Amino acid sequence: MGLTRRLFMITGATVGGGLLLGVGGIGAHLLTHNRVGVQRDGHDAEGSTHVNLWMRITSDNKIIVVNPHTDMGQGSATGLMQIVADELDADWSQMQVEQAPADPAYSNGKVFEGFVREMMTPPDWANTLLENGFYRMGDLMKAQMTGGSSAVRFTGWDAMRSAAAATRQMLVSAAAEQLAVPADSLTTEAGRVVHAESGQSITYGELAAAAANMESPDDIQLKSPADYRFVGQPVDRVDVPAKVIANADYGIDAEVPGMQYAAVVTSGVFGAQVESIDNIDDVKANRGVSDVLIVPDGIAVVADNPWRAEKAVRTAEFTREKHANDTLSTESLITGQRAALAGELVSGMSTGEPQAIETSLTAEYLVPYLAHASLEPMNATVWQQDGKLHIVAGVQNPLMAKAHAAKEAGVDLDNVVFHARQMGGGFGRRVAFSMSGDEPLSWLVQAVRIALDTGKPVKTTWSRETDTRSDVYRPMVMAQFEGALADDGKPALWRSRSYGKEMNVAAVAPPYTINNIDVSFADRGHAVPVGFWRSVEHSQHGFFVESFIDELAAAAGADPLEYRLNLVEDNTPAARVLAKVAEMSGWRADADQQGRAMGVAMVHSFGSTVAQVVEASITPTGPKAHRVWCAVDCGVAVNPQAIEAQVQGSVNFALSAALYGKCDIANGGVVQSNFHDYRIVGIADAPAIEVEMLASDSPVGGVGEIGVPPFAPAFCNALAVIDGARRRTLPLL
Amino acid sequence: MIKLNVNDVEHSLDIEPDMPLLWALREETALRGTKFGCGLGLCGACTVHIDGAPVRSCSYPVSAAVGKQIKTIESIGTADAPHAVQQAWIEHQVPQCGYCQSGMQMAAVALLNSNPQPTDEDIDAAMTNLCRCGTYDRIRAAIKSAAKEKV
Repeated sequence: MGLTRRLFMITGATVGGGLLLGVGGIGAHLLTHNRVGVQRDGHDAEGSTHVNLWMRITSDNKIIVVNPHTDMGQGSATGLMQIVADELDADWSQMQVEQAPADPAYSNGKVFEGFVREMMTPPDWANTLLENGFYRMGDLMKAQMTGGSSAVRFTGWDAMRSAAAATRQMLVSAAAEQLAVPADSLTTEAGRVVHAESGQSITYGELAAAAANMESPDDIQLKSPADYRFVGQPVDRVDVPAKVIANADYGIDAEVPGMQYAAVVTSGVFGAQVESIDNIDDVKANRGVSDVLIVPDGIAVVADNPWRAEKAVRTAEFTREKHANDTLSTESLITGQRAALAGELVSGMSTGEPQAIETSLTAEYLVPYLAHASLEPMNATVWQQDGKLHIVAGVQNPLMAKAHAAKEAGVDLDNVVFHARQMGGGFGRRVAFSMSGDEPLSWLVQAVRIALDTGKPVKTTWSRETDTRSDVYRPMVMAQFEGALADDGKPALWRSRSYGKEMNVAAVAPPYTINNIDVSFADRGHAVPVGFWRSVEHSQHGFFVESFIDELAAAAGADPLEYRLNLVEDNTPAARVLAKVAEMSGWRADADQQGRAMGVAMVHSFGSTVAQVVEASITPTGPKAHRVWCAVDCGVAVNPQAIEAQVQGSVNFALSAALYGKCDIANGGVVQSNFHDYRIVGIADAPAIEVEMLASDSPVGGVGEIGVPPFAPAFCNALAVIDGARRRTLPLL
Repeated sequence: MIKLNVNDVEHSLDIEPDMPLLWALREETALRGTKFGCGLGLCGACTVHIDGAPVRSCSYPVSAAVGKQIKTIESIGTADAPHAVQQAWIEHQVPQCGYCQSGMQMAAVALLNSNPQPTDEDIDAAMTNLCRCGTYDRIRAAIKSAAKEKV
């Protein structure tokens, strides 16, 4: 596209008309606040570190937000529009959004800067690519990423808000010149610059070209929250109407002239490749089948209809290579984790004198591998046209996906055109990184290989079975705890040992004031492909930590909610959400006459804090969650109704995992295959979920994942009130 | 040839009698609002109506649909004239990723057609479709809204 490193520019027809506004210097301005003090070689020299081209103003006064993030139902596009509309003083009717192209210009360093400013240790996958400091990470990693609950809080709140405010100031400067009046005699409203004295006004659309030539302001005037008209309001999401009339464009709906369909089965053993297809002529004899081929990690059949391809691929007999994973099983992996915890550990956190305290309470926890099970199975459509490789797919980072495709095809990045589509669920499945180094986009790589090897336009779609068995799984983790109580009942000792390469000790450490803490972990990887699953390490450690603190409270004979409140400082987000959730739920520590009891948990994650109370009972068919109350501190709640939806959805996501979720490993592969043995909760299982967001001066936090971690512990804590049994292993059924 | 009546249009298709209706709809009649989720009739993303009853089209052979009225999400409403269920779905901002929602709405339309005032228990029994995003609170509220609308 020839996007140059300038702050503002007119690109005219090259990006569909209108003025394309971006921000460069603003990135530099914000980034000077980062506490890590990273080097920014080569970026400052140009005076414009980031070229995030985030909004266009058309001559007919439409404001188009160019969204670098992709949609999987999280609603962040609407949140970004709200932020821009407020800072620009736009009318909502002017606002539109479009998907940014998969272009290095849209790699969002803001996302990574956000992680840095939270002082989170960067994920392992980031470290391996991190050569020139955080500043360039966005570029280096081609990280046009949707993940880490980052869109609104980093891209939106940090970057787009500043860009929009600067743009408004430049539009005012342009109007001042045009009207020959002082800038401070002008105001903005509903997409116009207004000169009240003379009654004149000019639309942004009319001013945009002139504004583009204005100097960017040194001092960006951000609006006072008191003046927001859109931020903080429940705004209807822009993506909803098309989804309701079934007109949303998912990857699986791609249509290309002459398109054929591929079905894939996996080799059955992680990492093992297929050596030969032994009945290839029989498979080819099936109606509509044109090609039968070996692909990375499995085999594929291409046919003129997806069902014919699937039917045929299931008849294929093949020989796979012998592999070290052939004998891998859940049992051997559990044994391995327990042995690792007895071996050499890495210290994550140590305070006080934990070695001086005698342990009085021990517990071992275990949670299994989990698949993402997004409802739209993995798929990609690939074809060659005009010397370029075209790809239609829904992914969380289109640019990195494009890079992986280019690598597989052996072509330059510029020779791949990536058409990013609506995702039928993401939850971390559609990112281009894994924790284990396995390729999470193996379906995309296979699709590229199939299209190239057959020379045809091909849509490759995984069956549910292949999808369930070829995931990058939420890691199975074992954790062992030791605790002791002081005379006043408070924890005198907190010791934990857990398995896995931890990238965020804050998730593993207790969020409470405890004098003697010893948190360590076995710094070991997984033979099973593992990746990012909604709420990442908080999904396991939130359960462990919030269950064990409850065990300590029970040992102390204390009310578990009061016990927690006594271990956090007043006027902190933790104290506020705990108090709020007690009020919302009408908290009680004992079971009622119907046998229903409450449990509580509180977890900090992604810059937000959530406390949940779950009211549960034990029915003849097993544990049931009846009602869930969620108190959320996410700073400014940009779109409260969308946040409520994310937290409600997260609770059901976590409930599926708590009740049913597990991927067993046998003979090197996953046993479960479809929704009959990898169950997802339905409406009859789903509790009534109330969400309240606290008025807060906390920084803007993420919202897409934060509802997951507190649920399982709050649920299990409630069940323990009923029958006294501590549930230390998931799933429950 | 298999003759199918889809949304009041007759189609004559050169397909196998055991092809699941889902794939005939998506690939032979280009109606892509009906989604593939599991292939075993477990998730309901592929729900359509056959003679007014909700059916999981991924595991329903086309031979069984011959001579019957097949209705897909495309026949229910449009952007300009959404069905009462679709209006309620927008009012309650039900979809997240949206992938399950055409099947979910087809199940809701069928429920309300046969039971205009469903109780919570009726909703639990009829709405067995799966939503991975977990939009169930809003599905329940939207069904109740749409039911009220119809009175």
